[in-house]
Amino acid sequence: MKFKKKIKSRVKDLREKLGLTQQQLADEVGVSRQTIYYLEKGNYNPSLTLSFKLTEIFHTTLDNIFYQEPIIKELLEGKSLADLKEVAEDVNINLEKLASLSEIDDEELTSSFNENLLIKISNNLGINFEDLFEKEVED
Amino acid sequence: MSKSEQSFMGTISRKYAKKQIFKTILGYFLFYASWIILTFWLLYFFEPTFLYAWFLWIMIFSVALPFVVVLVSAIWYYNRYVKMFSFEILDNDIIIQHGVFNRIRATIPYSRIQNINITNGVFDRMYKVFTVKIETAGSSAAAASAKSGIARPEGYIPGLIDPNIIEEKIKERLTKYSAIPSGLEDKIFKPEELAFDNFISYILSKMREGEYLQTTIKEMREKSQISAANLAEKVGVPLQTIKYLEEGRYNPSLALAYRIAEVLHCKIEDLFKLV
Repeated sequence: MKFKKKIKSRVKDLREKLGLTQQQLADEVGVSRQTIYYLEKGNYNPSLTLSFKLTEIFHTTLDNIFYQEPIIKELLEGKSLADLKEVAEDVNINLEKLASLSEIDDEELTSSFNENLLIKISNNLGINFEDLFEKEVED
Repeated sequence: MSKSEQSFMGTISRKYAKKQIFKTILGYFLFYASWIILTFWLLYFFEPTFLYAWFLWIMIFSVALPFVVVLVSAIWYYNRYVKMFSFEILDNDIIIQHGVFNRIRATIPYSRIQNINITNGVFDRMYKVFTVKIETAGSSAAAASAKSGIARPEGYIPGLIDPNIIEEKIKERLTKYSAIPSGLEDKIFKPEELAFDNFISYILSKMREGEYLQTTIKEMREKSQISAANLAEKVGVPLQTIKYLEEGRYNPSLALAYRIAEVLHCKIEDLFKLV
């Protein structure tokens, strides 16, 4: 069992550190300003060449610009405590275990959650299981 | 946005019909030229008297009559072909509708387009038309050409007076949609969106010449003894994508690069280098 992840970026911080505007950065890497805007907003999956160009401009590695985060993390962080308590009650686990989903890695996920439980949690969060988790492909 | 704003409909020129009819007539006469030469040769050397009497009738029945039949059906067929042929350039794909007897509707997603060739052959030049061939990383067309030896790409648009219009329209689509990244409403990217993103970056990198992604996927994969098919399955893309990646023909999305790096237990920088 694996978390589905989305790409987050620190482009905004790095850009501001260099004192560039979105338009200036866009011109440097040869994309439109909107692309930079969406990239900073975190909803954009850039191409690899664009990513590499950003590393050149920011003089840093890919890991310092982009990082992956489980989709469920943002989802859980966006919920109120009351909502989370309700979800935990509905699926019969304690709140700590539910909250731990935003901390643990794929290995821990496999060992401490089974598929049925995760399906239940996803449904209670109002999202498809497939959008949050994926099954591992066997060799 | 209405549908008319999104799509571009096109038809082909009647000149294509004229060209094909001319080719048919030419082909017919080339075929019968040998027959007529043979007939005259027989007459000259053997002088078979019965042939003199029947020669006119033989000519009429074996050459002239079939010719009329062929000509009439060719005129009908090619005019109808031109009338029935239409193509439509949409946001995500090109739709080509053609066929006189069997109506065929082919949908070519941009993500599968490998290249667009504009050809202008000898007959094309006579009639001042162009043929646009849209080659895809397709299975059926490639397999069929391997079998028959005749390669006809999936997207075949003959008889265009201004072929650049197709190129322009596709570029228009690309610039329009490269400005607005795909999958904004969804936080989770679907494979086809990734593929479209790939195509945009591929075209853009082609336009900005000189950029090239060097990759060691193949070496890394072989080191950890993972087959291309297995890697494709693990990262959830078609095998063809891995093959293109290994050949350095594809600019993957960052998400795809991350997945590959994860499976091969290395960093993206170990796998790709921009040169």
